[in-house]
Order: sequence, then structure tokens, then C-alpha cells
Amino acid sequence: MDVSRYVHDAERATRDALTGLFNRASFHQLLREKLVVAQRTGEALAVLCIDLDRFKSVNDTLGHPVGDGLLAKVGERLRSMSRETDFVARLGGDEFGILQTGGDQPLAAQAMATRLVDLIGRTYVVDGHMLNIGASVGIALAPGDSSNPEVLLKRADLALYKAKVDGRGTFRFFEGEMDARMQARRAMEINIRKAMALKELELVYQPQVHLETNAVVGFEALLRWNNAERGVVSPADFIPLAEEIGLIVPIGDWVLRTACHEAASWSQPVSIAVNLSPVQFRNAKLIESVVSALASSGLDPGRLELEITEGALLENTERVLSVLNALRAIGVRISMDDFGTGYSSLSYLQKFPFDKIKIDQSFVRGNTDDSNAIVRAVAGLGASLGIRTTAEGVETVEQLNRIRAQGCHEVQGYFTGRPMAATAAASLLNATSSH
Amino acid sequence: MANDVYRLVYYSRNRMTGTPDDLAASIATILNTSQANNGKVGVTGALMFNSGFFGQVLEGPQAAVESVFERIQQDDRHGEVSLLAFETAPTRSFEGWSMGFVGASVPDAARYGAIVQDSGFDPTRMSGNALFETLHHLALDDEKLAAA
Ligand SMILES: Cc1cc2nc3c(=O)[nH]c(=O)nc-3n(C[C@H](O)[C@H](O)[C@H](O)COP(=O)(O)O)c2cc1C
Repeated sequence: MDVSRYVHDAERATRDALTGLFNRASFHQLLREKLVVAQRTGEALAVLCIDLDRFKSVNDTLGHPVGDGLLAKVGERLRSMSRETDFVARLGGDEFGILQTGGDQPLAAQAMATRLVDLIGRTYVVDGHMLNIGASVGIALAPGDSSNPEVLLKRADLALYKAKVDGRGTFRFFEGEMDARMQARRAMEINIRKAMALKELELVYQPQVHLETNAVVGFEALLRWNNAERGVVSPADFIPLAEEIGLIVPIGDWVLRTACHEAASWSQPVSIAVNLSPVQFRNAKLIESVVSALASSGLDPGRLELEITEGALLENTERVLSVLNALRAIGVRISMDDFGTGYSSLSYLQKFPFDKIKIDQSFVRGNTDDSNAIVRAVAGLGASLGIRTTAEGVETVEQLNRIRAQGCHEVQGYFTGRPMAATAAASLLNATSSH
Repeated sequence: MANDVYRLVYYSRNRMTGTPDDLAASIATILNTSQANNGKVGVTGALMFNSGFFGQVLEGPQAAVESVFERIQQDDRHGEVSLLAFETAPTRSFEGWSMGFVGASVPDAARYGAIVQDSGFDPTRMSGNALFETLHHLALDDEKLAAA
């Protein structure tokens, strides 16, 4: 019997074929074994979870052979910096793990993570390409954070998540509150999913008033969430999470349908404004979703106004313009929301004919020389480009008078009308049409 | 294609500390290792040290240049490695130099080059081509001196 061959095969089963590092299964096995030993000796261990930043774009743009070559080099670098007491593994895709034993913790883990971020972040050359990626690292320590292998890995992963949120190319140690925050997130996620199923989401409508005629010329649909346990949840508290986990797409779709349906039933053909999240805006199904909401409600496309914030306009100008033009081709109107709070607004105004600019409430409420000058300048800009301007957040008669003097076309705010239920919006229109 | 000469140009920041003599000894070691290693795989080039920076050109077959550079990248004795160029070149410019040290002598470079000074040498503001030209000119000067 050829024993060497047998040993060779056994060894191979513990290794990742591409990098020659330990594979996930053998890493878990090693972790279990070393934790048992460490519990006896009282020695501290560190688990480092490593994720490559920007690896996916290398793989997508240059193809798998280059991506694989890069991964092999990353593996080589990890091995070059590890000692005999460190166990380096490829956990899958562009994820790596290191089990560090025999070090003075947490200093040893900190030194290793520092070196790792530097080393992995250095430029690579693979098949003639210069490649730049980075590493994010999460660290958990045994016995401090846990002596259970699964829990320890999970905590290193939570720390990794934090490192990525904090801007990548860095490392973080696990901290107790990361667990709590992650649990809160998960609970919120479950609640949002339930909210959709239980129909806890609701739209309210805030009037937009024409400054010359004082007539209601439209409504903005605003999302409300009435949760049995949490009460009224502010969109600011759940929209960011819904965006992050992709739930904003079905929510946004529901908002569009509901708003179009409601507006189609109104006694006057005023406009209905609906907010689009940047995530929805990037979603390939957006156009389809708008067309379908219009078709099923029978709403005249010219009455639908989609409000886009600067966040949606930041990246890839060409793609953004093609989406805007496709929406325009359907016949819907496009407003730039929260104007003045971001960076790209002016350049976009030149490239795309928005139908409306909504001036952010911070300029309306701030009665300083600066904010007055800004409102006046934007109103003037709108007038010269032939774009209507709406002042948001008007709360007092002084603000209203000032906005009027500065030349805005429309206002929206508590002073001219709070957000109201669909039935109230419909009766408001009935009341004014019967004059 | 397979016979193409590839040229790689980078600069990096020194991370070695110690006396000028220590530094000179380390640079000499790096050069010895480089000459031995590069000679075996058909890589030629030049290295300089000035104002706390290393500047280096490597040339040779693509795979050989890539693997020598990968080893250099893993070296703790320097950091902030900025790769300025990696492309095919019409010919080798450092034929016969498995790794030449250009500019000042190693002891002088270690003594005067470790500190940032007013020599006008600032690789962070150079293109790959400018750094290559600098090393190439220094190499030609050295060859002239040697011939004289
Ligand atoms: C600035 C600098 C330049 C280097 N240049 C080379 C080189 O051209 N060729 C090389 O083999 N090693 C070079 N090295 C050394 C490598 O980083 C590495 O230490 C060496 O290749 C290891 O070789 P060995 O395994 O034969 O000891 C350089 C190191 C530094 C800091």
C-alpha cells in the first residue's frame, strides 16, 4: 500500500486548491482543537476574519483567471507574514481567516492586523495588470469574547462588518455593543418585512400650494409606518435599513402604485409627487415599475412627479441621464429634491431639464442673509432655466411672505397644510373644486 | 509576445532605522540578494536611494518581473510602494545590470539619502517615465565613470 499517496490525499482534503491555504472545514476543525488546548493552558487566541475590498470589480472587469491569480498572490502574502503558530485559511470567495496562537493578546492580533492591512493593500501585478485592492479585518479573542468556535467566528465577522462600515481598509476588534446593534437591526428587518405583510404602511399627502393663486396644485405622498409595538416609526429610522437590505424596492413599488391609484380618483387633475430612493433609482426594474403603476391606475403620466435627491445622481452620469431620459419619455415629471444640500445639483441642472427644484427646508427656515440669498438665487436660477421652484418646510406667515418675495412658485409646509390622510386630501380637493 | 521585455518602475519609502552603517549594510545585502535572484530569471534593472525613498526599475520577461516584484512587495524594509509603470519596453535599458545601484555610492546614499533633503529629488511628483529616465541617466553616468 502506498502510504505517502494516502497521506498526500488526506493533506489535500484540508487545503484550498487555489491558494494552498487551509480550507474552511479544516479551519473550523483547527479552531475547535486549539480552543480546547487553550482552555487548558489559559492561553489567549485571536481569530481574524479578512475580506478583500474591491476584489469583485477586478473579477468582473478582468475575468476569473486574473481574479484567481490575484487570490493566489493574496494567499502568498498572508502566508509570508504568518508564523508557525498562525493558521491561515481561505474561507471562501475573497474571504480569509487567520487563527493566531501563542501571541501576547490583544497586542499580537493588533500588530498582525496592522501589517495585514498594509501588506494586502500594496499594489499587485497579475498577467500584466496593475491591481489595487484592500483588506478589511475583524478580530475576536478567546477566551475574552468567547471560547465557543462558532460564536468566536461570528463575533470576528461582526467586527469585520464594522470595519467595512467604518470605511474599509482597516481593522476592528469585536465589542459587546456590536452584538446588540446587530440584534436591533435584525429585529427591525423582521418588523419591516412584517409591516409589508400586515399592511402597516400607509401614505399621507401634503398639499403643495401655488403662491400666486393660493390653489392646491398637488400633493406629495409621504410614507408612514404605524407599528403595533413601536407606534409611528419615522421613515428616517427604517428607510436607510430598508435601502441597505434591498427592501426599499418592493416598498417603493407599493408607494408608487398606491399614490397613483389614489391620485387617479381625485376630483381635480392635480399632481402627485412620489419620492424615489437612490437604491430604487439604480434598480433595473424602475422604469417597468413606473409604467405598470401608471397603467394599472390609469393616471395621466403628466400628473406623476418623481422626486430625486442628489444621492441618486452622484455616480455614473451617463447611466443616470439615460434613466432620467427614459422616465421623461414615459411622460412623467422629474423634480430635484432637497436642493442645495448636496454637491452635484448645479452640474445636473445643466445636463438634464428638471421640471421642478425643491429648495431644502433648511434654507427656508434659516432667516439669515445667507439662506435668503440662496433661496433668491435658486428661485432666479429656476426662472431663467424655465424650471418651477417649490420651497419646502414653510411653517410661518413670515416665511411664506419671504418666500413669495424671493420669487418661488410654490410652497409646501405645515403652514399651508400638514400631511393628511388620503380621505382628507380627497375632500380638500372636493371643497376647492365646488367653489 | 513571449520575448517581450516588460519594464516596471516604482518608488517606495524606506522603513529601516539604525545608523548609516547599519543602513549601508542592509542596502548592500538587498543588492547582493537582488543580483543573485534576478540573474537567475533574466531580470535586470537599477535601484537608487535618495531623500528617504527607494526608486527602482525592473525589466525582463513578464512573469519573472511580476514574481520579483511580488517578493519586493512583501518586504517589510520599505513601505508605501507606489507602482508608477508596468508596460512593454522596446529594449532593455540596463543590459548587464542584474541590479545596479545608481547615483551616490551605497555608504554615501545611506549617510545622506536617509533624510529628506533639498536635492530636488521627489519621486512622489514624478511620472513613471521621469523616474525611469532619472535612473537611466544615472546609470549612463556611472558607466562613463567606470569607463574613464
Ligand atoms: C527597495 C528594495 C528593492 C529590492 N529589490 C529586489 C530585487 O530586485 N530582486 C530581488 O530578488 N529582491 C529584491 N529585494 C529583496 C526582496 O524584497 C526579498 O527580500 C528577496 O527577494 C528575498 O530573497 P531570498 O529569498 O533569496 O532571500 C528588494 C528589497 C527592497 C527593500
